[in-house]
Amino acid sequence: MRRTTALIGAGTAAAILITGCSTGEGTDLGGTSGGLVAAIAGEPDQLDPHMTTSYFAFQVLENVYDTLVEPDENLEMQPALAQSWELSDDQLTWTFNLRDDVTFHDGSEFTADDVLYSYNRIIDGELSNAWRLSAIEDITAPDEHTVEITVSQPSPNLLSNLGGFKGLAIVQQANVDSGDITTKPIGTGPFALESYTSGDSITLTANEKHWAGAPQIPSVTFRFISEGSTAIAALKGGEIDWTDSIPAQQVEGLSADSEVLTLGQTPSNDYWYLTLNQNREPWNDVRVRQAIAYAIDRDAIVQATSYGTAAANQLAIPVQSVWYTEYDTYSTDLDRAQALLDEAGVGDLTLDLMVSSDYPETVTAAQIIADNLEPLGITVEIRSPDFATWLDEQNTGEFDMLMMGWLGNIDPDDFYYAQHHSGGASNAQGYANSEVDDLLDQARTETDADVRQQLYGELATIIADEASYIYLYNPSVIQAWNPDLDYEVRGDRAVRFRDVSFGE
Amino acid sequence: MSAFLRNSTVRFLARRLAYSAIVLAGVMVVVFSLVHLVPGDPIRIALGTRYTPEAYDALLVASGLDRPLWEQFFSYIGSAVTGDLGVSFRNGSPVTVNLLDRLPATASLAVVGLIVALLISVPAGIWSALHEGRVSDAIVRVSSQFGVSVPDFWMGMLMITLFSSVLGWLPSSGYVPLTEDPLLWLRHVTLPAVTVGIVAGAIMTRYIRAAVLEVAAAGYVRTARSKGLAPAVITFRHIVRNALIPVLTIAGIQLATILGGVIVVEVVFAWPGIGRLVFDAVAARDYPLIQGAVLLIAALFLLINLIVDVLYAVVDPRIRLS
Repeated sequence: MRRTTALIGAGTAAAILITGCSTGEGTDLGGTSGGLVAAIAGEPDQLDPHMTTSYFAFQVLENVYDTLVEPDENLEMQPALAQSWELSDDQLTWTFNLRDDVTFHDGSEFTADDVLYSYNRIIDGELSNAWRLSAIEDITAPDEHTVEITVSQPSPNLLSNLGGFKGLAIVQQANVDSGDITTKPIGTGPFALESYTSGDSITLTANEKHWAGAPQIPSVTFRFISEGSTAIAALKGGEIDWTDSIPAQQVEGLSADSEVLTLGQTPSNDYWYLTLNQNREPWNDVRVRQAIAYAIDRDAIVQATSYGTAAANQLAIPVQSVWYTEYDTYSTDLDRAQALLDEAGVGDLTLDLMVSSDYPETVTAAQIIADNLEPLGITVEIRSPDFATWLDEQNTGEFDMLMMGWLGNIDPDDFYYAQHHSGGASNAQGYANSEVDDLLDQARTETDADVRQQLYGELATIIADEASYIYLYNPSVIQAWNPDLDYEVRGDRAVRFRDVSFGE
Repeated sequence: MSAFLRNSTVRFLARRLAYSAIVLAGVMVVVFSLVHLVPGDPIRIALGTRYTPEAYDALLVASGLDRPLWEQFFSYIGSAVTGDLGVSFRNGSPVTVNLLDRLPATASLAVVGLIVALLISVPAGIWSALHEGRVSDAIVRVSSQFGVSVPDFWMGMLMITLFSSVLGWLPSSGYVPLTEDPLLWLRHVTLPAVTVGIVAGAIMTRYIRAAVLEVAAAGYVRTARSKGLAPAVITFRHIVRNALIPVLTIAGIQLATILGGVIVVEVVFAWPGIGRLVFDAVAARDYPLIQGAVLLIAALFLLINLIVDVLYAVVDPRIRLS
């Protein structure tokens, strides 16, 4: 041990030599004067908003691109590139009036043709977000600053599909045609790409001409720091101003450090669930599914997967949402579970539980679930293939039970339709209830918000009662930043820096 | 004499080059087999949630996996020889460009790390051997055992906590190219290099101690002693000078090991080097990039070994002809 001390001593001496020559206090990195340095947990795979599926890419692109409309902090849609819109009386034609003072970062003018090009690119290319535009029958541009969208049926969720996230960003055709979009994207957003150093960082500079006004900070540098402890040390040391690369187990300790950092935490619109394959016996018996819903210990799962930072939930939509419905049927009750199994006449079951090694929290949860079900005589065999294999097995119905999450939901339709409509694209569990189908179809086209809310509350309750999905929890969005920074965490995980400023 | 020397040096070099080429060819075969040995369909796995039938076909053709195996093999070898290692599944850019972009950062870290390792191990190893059996020897041996056993991520965290968080002297992460700002480069490279250097230095200390002990027991040292030479002269002129020859080999091996094994340290310090590239490539199942990185690291390993062997032959002519 003595030599370790000596080594640290030698390192200290070297450090003094090095720091002795530096200017300023702490560990000023230089070159970012007045700008914000944010650490994200990984490097984007590419920067084409229509092609990437990486959250790291969207964290950057949120600041580079605009959408036609965009969600405010309550996730209600507000004007963005479209300054207003009208809906025809038959609810089938949406007319968007575009701003006429918007330019792309290269100085070229933004017009209705750019909107047409962007949406047609997604639809014609059958890109991964094409389903968000599936209700659209036709898009036209009557003039340079007007876009008309015709839908096949009333679509109250059209706005959230168009503006929910930057996967529907308005891009520039020249940028796509040149192929530069993957590394040098040109948008209309509040910041323009300045430089990209592979493996290290992306720097954006403020777009002084942005329609929402010039950002308050001159630049944003996104650094890629995957190791959470390093990001936290960098934040405490003043090297960075913001990060979401935070290990959940450190959250409790960090909340005590309010002098050097501000910790922000809010439940997200993401949800994690279990589902049983209803095309197989005995899982097609609602009582067996309910038994499992009563047997699992949500609090233990929340504690193990998120160190208590997630919020246990029995329906998909989190408590802070305007669409939240109260529901608390399933408390952990082994006697009730056993009684339901007895009623269904089954015992000594073996259950194949499929989770994915790409989502470690599913593996952790699976171990607890196996433990929870053991007293009922259910032997859980856990499988954890990589996610691509997981998707294949889900689609071919090769599972008894699986666990996964739905991320990036905004409109209530995102939470329920594809998952529980008998013809839904993601109804791998084979749930079919004509009453729920009717409610889903009706809610999808209902334009009165109050009626819509009531419909979703009703159908969500039926889905949970019949255990089509057994809901577990909504994870939290956890971010930390320099206390001088004026910033708010958003439930949709959008990292928007255009309105932030350094106080002092 | 000089003609003979040059002639044998050429022969030696030719033999070593041929040997390296054979090893490299073997590595290529193994690396090529990688994609074909992976369970499941590599294209499907690489696409993950981005899967559509169109994307699948496009990537299948782009990666050449639709062609017969033998054709793929010869085309891979042919391209690799000319420096074309294919394109990354993840971002579609050439693997060679990706790797060369990251090489300077890793080279900086490896070279400075080796210097730190030498600064630690040479004095510690010599001191320990010359004080064999005494308390100071025991301390060096125990702490080098400690250095060998400590995981490098833990050492890195310790460095960051102490020098960045508590003392605030050095940045915890990031990289600035040497050509851009030498001082800033040094500030950034110090913590990761010390982390790498402590682990490598601990290993080297043990080799050096053994080498010095062996030389100290040699006949010519006894002769020198019996001649009544001053202990300092014996120590430095006879023992240390001769003992440092094997250090060259160890330093070479360590440099190659560091180059290939800095993945964890690069991740901890957010260092944009090849190790981190491999880490990301594995996470994204970017097989062309993994293949390319393995090939590059193997080639560097062989190159360094070749250089070490040549230097060795220059320093100690007896070894050359064996």
